Parts: sequence; C-alpha cells; structure tokens
Amino acid sequence: MGASLVDLAAGHAFPPITVTLPAAAVRAYCEAVGDEQAFYAEAGLVPPLAAAALCLGALLQEASLPPGSLHANESLEFMRPVPVGADVLCQTTLAKRSQRAGWVFSVLDSRLFVDGEAAVTAVATVLSPIEP
Amino acid sequence: MSAPAVVPLTRALSQTMIDRYASASGDFNPIHIDAAFAATTPMGGTIAHGMLVLALIAEMMTAAFGRDWLTSGKLEVRFRAPARPGDRLTARARAIDDDEGGSFRYAVECLNEREEQLITGTAVVAAPGR
Repeated sequence: MGASLVDLAAGHAFPPITVTLPAAAVRAYCEAVGDEQAFYAEAGLVPPLAAAALCLGALLQEASLPPGSLHANESLEFMRPVPVGADVLCQTTLAKRSQRAGWVFSVLDSRLFVDGEAAVTAVATVLSPIEP
Repeated sequence: MSAPAVVPLTRALSQTMIDRYASASGDFNPIHIDAAFAATTPMGGTIAHGMLVLALIAEMMTAAFGRDWLTSGKLEVRFRAPARPGDRLTARARAIDDDEGGSFRYAVECLNEREEQLITGTAVVAAPGR
C-alpha cells in the first residue's frame, strides 16, 4: 500500500488504474447492498455506483485512508452504462486538501472511462482525523 | 411533462451487509467493521459505508428510470449522520422541477426509522426522449 491520503498534496494525480468488473464482483456488490433488481443482470450492466465504489476500493490500495475517516459529500454523474466485464480506466486527482477542527478534508475527483469514453465522474469529500 | 413519482425503498441494515460491502468494495476502514475500534471513535460503534447507504437511493432511481438513469443521472449528496447496524433505512425522492430544461429534478434523502436524515441531496435525470 502507498502513502496515506492525508500525506499527499492537493493536485496529486494518482497513477491511472484499470479495474475489470467481472460478473462475480458485480454480483457480490449487489448482494452486499441488497439490490435484487433483475435489471442489471438482464442488461449485463454494472450499477454505476458499483463502478465508482470498486474503483475507489482499488484506489485505496494506492493510498490508505487513516482509520476513522468519514465520507462527507459525494457528487456523481453517470454518462454511459458500464458493461459487466468491461475494463474501467479510473483517473483520480486529489483536487483539494484542507484542515479544520481536527480533521483533514480531502476532495477526490475521479473520472471513469470505458472504451475511451467518459462513463462516470465521482467527486468525494473525505474527512480524516488528525492524529495528536 | 410532470416528473414521475419515485417509489420509496426501505431496507434493514445489518453488520453482515456492512462486512459484505467492505469485502466487495475493498474498503476495510475499521470504523465500519471493527467494533472494538469503532467504540473508541466519536461514532461510538460501527457505521455503514456512506456509499452503501447511498446505494439505496441509486437503486430507487434505477427502478424509476432504468437506462435513462445510467446515461444521464446526477447525484449530489451530503452524508449528514451515520447509518448503524439495526437501522431501518428508507430512501425517498420528491420532485422539485418538472421537465425543467429537459430533465427531472428531485430532492432525495435517506432516513432511519426515527426519521433522522442520514443523507440529503438532489438527483437529476434526463426526461425521456431528451
């Protein structure tokens, strides 16, 4: 695992990550969130939130989150469906970083591409406790 | 065109779901899965991943709009309070614009059984045929 998220400077661009989303991973995600809609399986598509979440999980292999970190805000835009089995290219930048009231605020701006086309954008604000 | 009504969704949240979500997403932050650690934090116990709770709102919008949600959906939310194992979660949406600029706009929220707002925000989706 790489550096802690709170040690990175604003503007830091993470190395692009390619995440393959096989049917088993999508099924595990749907079971975890309790989404039993047949829509995704019948259409062979990945829930867009799953694509964002699984790419975020892959990113956490590159930069760890301090224990006790909290998700404060999320902004998502879905532009095209993500097929099951697709290779999803995830490009993430630490767009902003600040400190306030004992917390580090990190804004992660992620762009997900499938076959070279933008599929999902996800902007997450994460609060991490400052260790004494 | 009037914004269609969106059917609310309700689901019980369990620690098993949270543990499964950690495995599925790769987010093993101990505040979600380690009861002993979580008890030492201001949260006082384990809490669900924000994206796990948000998934209920996304599922509700997919059920209402299908493929249109996947190609034009926008969500902007704030996580206001933690969801805890044992909570009964309800996602609901209230139309705030009818076909304004070719899209439908909703105020969305996720509540627990005590009607506490856990997530609030807006969802926008293109009106069919746009």
